[in-house]
Amino acid sequence: MFKNRRFFIGLVGVAAVVTYLIWTGVSETMVYYMTPVELMARTTSDPSLHQVGIKVSGRIVKGSWELVSGEELIHRFAVEDLEDPGVAFPVVYQGLLPDTFNDHENVEAVVEGRFREDGVFEATSVLTKCGSRYEASSEELAG
Amino acid sequence: MTVLGELALWIALPVAIWGMVLAFVGGKHGRGDLVLSAERSVYAVFALLVTASAGIVAAFLGNRYEYLYVASYSNRALDTFYKASGLWAGQRGSLLFWVVLLAFFSSVAVFTNRNKNREFMPYVSGVLLTVITFFIIVLLFADVNPFEKLGFTPADGQGLNPQLQNYWMTIHPPTLYLGFTSFTVPFAFAMSALLSGRLDSRWIVVTRRWTLLSWFFLANGIIFGMRWAYQELGWGGYWFWDPVENASLLPLLTATAFLHSVMIQEKRGMLKVWNMALVTLTFSLTIFATFLTRSGLIDSVHSFAQNTKISFIFLGFLATIIGVSTVLIIHRYPQLKSETEIQSFVSRESAFLFNNLMLLAVAFAIMWGILLPLLSEGLTGEAIQVGAPFFNRVNLPIGMVLLALVGIGPVIAWRRASKRNLTKNFTIPLLVGITVVGIFAIRGSRHWMALTTFGISAFVMTVIVVEFFKGTRARARIEGEGIPRAFVHLVARNRRRWGGYIVHVGIVMIFTAFAGAAFNVKVIQTLSPGQSITLASPLGHDYTLTYEGMSSSRGRNMVWQAVALMSIDRDGRRVGSITTEKRLYETWPTPMTEVGIHSTPFEDVYVILANADDLIAGAYENDPAAQRATFEFQINPLVGWIWYGGLVLTFGALIAMWPSQGPLPEVRQTAARREAVPAAVGAD
Repeated sequence: MFKNRRFFIGLVGVAAVVTYLIWTGVSETMVYYMTPVELMARTTSDPSLHQVGIKVSGRIVKGSWELVSGEELIHRFAVEDLEDPGVAFPVVYQGLLPDTFNDHENVEAVVEGRFREDGVFEATSVLTKCGSRYEASSEELAG
Repeated sequence: MTVLGELALWIALPVAIWGMVLAFVGGKHGRGDLVLSAERSVYAVFALLVTASAGIVAAFLGNRYEYLYVASYSNRALDTFYKASGLWAGQRGSLLFWVVLLAFFSSVAVFTNRNKNREFMPYVSGVLLTVITFFIIVLLFADVNPFEKLGFTPADGQGLNPQLQNYWMTIHPPTLYLGFTSFTVPFAFAMSALLSGRLDSRWIVVTRRWTLLSWFFLANGIIFGMRWAYQELGWGGYWFWDPVENASLLPLLTATAFLHSVMIQEKRGMLKVWNMALVTLTFSLTIFATFLTRSGLIDSVHSFAQNTKISFIFLGFLATIIGVSTVLIIHRYPQLKSETEIQSFVSRESAFLFNNLMLLAVAFAIMWGILLPLLSEGLTGEAIQVGAPFFNRVNLPIGMVLLALVGIGPVIAWRRASKRNLTKNFTIPLLVGITVVGIFAIRGSRHWMALTTFGISAFVMTVIVVEFFKGTRARARIEGEGIPRAFVHLVARNRRRWGGYIVHVGIVMIFTAFAGAAFNVKVIQTLSPGQSITLASPLGHDYTLTYEGMSSSRGRNMVWQAVALMSIDRDGRRVGSITTEKRLYETWPTPMTEVGIHSTPFEDVYVILANADDLIAGAYENDPAAQRATFEFQINPLVGWIWYGGLVLTFGALIAMWPSQGPLPEVRQTAARREAVPAAVGAD
């Protein structure tokens, strides 16, 4: 189909530019995605991870939420591991929390930000998944 | 009614399998009677699935909480409107809804082709029934049967997530599903062409409107979802680059590529293999998107379920689709050779091909982003994710090139564009584009990405306006008509072309709106009643918002509702007011936020009630001293253009889809053909 050589060169050029965009895009914007247990283990063995973007998926610790400043919307709460609730870490976050955020039900959350060396996770975004409320199990309905 | 519905779902399975087998056997052996029976089973399956869906709706309306699905998504106090739409509120119902829509489109396809295109219809029915059968099997055997009973009857249901109780959220999923399911028809025709060996452009011409219809629903479904996110999620954005949003965008991108590349095949007999690949890819992506929304394979705010059985079934089906189509394409490869070749790099063919490459590049980048966590975890054991920064970085530049092609494609010459063709068509639009960038730059704007987008948008708009102008003027002169009349006739005579240009106008408006987001203003401020805040709009004027106070009321299905009232002055003149709320629903543990939006043609003032010191004393007991509250204020320039652009796009797509007047000559001679065709098919 591509008898025209210029055409073939154009095609390769496009592919190269797209590959370059994706490659640099991934390497410059990627974040590590881990559980709280992995976060603790990995940052202990590799302190440089304190400097990079990390996303952690866990559960809001019940009763841990505190509004540090209502005027500046600074929130503080803790996130625990889904499988090993003993492993938890404090999170500070400035901004609006999603409506589904609360600390009295089993709310799964994904926090993204930086895990500071003082052991506090400075979140730039907080997402909540109120799993039980979307798809109820029969036990919950019975209760 | 509900028991009848469940029964209907079970009966639909053997009927669909029966029809599927008869369609393929009838097609292979040229047995018209079998094919007719298969077509009747398409109608029968549709009727059965409608009965099943009616059963679910009846269970919602009748508060039948002994059904797990109804108990999970409804409660007695829920509005009837949201009860009825419970059919697609969750995974189980959505899958039933999906297949009933597919059965509907299948019936329409079979019915409209009962007297024509008979050579395609056996395998078309077969493919459609295969997909239907797959979904019925999923419903019945993958632990997602919407008719599953709890074994006891709860007094009330769990209620519907308040965030889903929104008009746009009610119409967003069905619209998207209409788009997903209707694309099955072009796919079925493509497979039929491959199976029967009728590989000329007929299958494309026959399914042209179907593809456009599907594209139209997909685009609108996505826009409705953006509208919902903007109003309901309360952060002032409309696109998250969330895996499920991305998954719904993928088929739209490849369908757009397909809509354009089929024109090359029709006009120049090229890209035949490419079109087959695109139709398969788009169909696979509709299945992938359905699967991703409803499987929980990838973390997302949208994916609700964690059911691994359904993941394996869906992945198996996807692999089968891709495998079978690939084998068929390879098998027919010798007959799919291009009739002509691309002659010049500077030609319309080349611009269209380039458009296809860009669209696929965006789709590829997005797919890469969706799958990266899975791939990286599988390969290195370490999950890596990318989010909005990645998608913006990669897709913005490609998007701008695509936008420019919207202006170049329609006016560059076929085969080989001459210098004269280029200068004649592009000098004025280019000058307009550069002038627009210049004006913004002189006025002090330095956001180059946004400026470039504005410049390209102006370029494309000029190209389109000039085309309309030239066409109308020529017609007015030749036919001796007045300008308005000539304009209407111009569009009516070639609806596909001019309708397409109107769609392009909508696209340009939407891209302009995206670029407008570069100038968003966002401020967080705590106010007591009577206090105000002044915001400078990027459009050059000032908004003063005064917090008037908080009141309470009690809406349906709610424990309480605290409403903050804010008046808006623009440059000292009162222009309106805004309310923003916190609502506590009876079935939800935490208060939900309702944002306040004051829309003008060029910008939105958007206010979010972020935090109130004491909602109970302040709003409930009406104590002004306790009504101090924190708000987030936003000015979002041009955001409304997404919705206006959506309307323009809808208008254009309707023009392009509108049936031509009068029966086409080929339709009339069909009675004789109907008898002859099965034998012809069997000859293969």
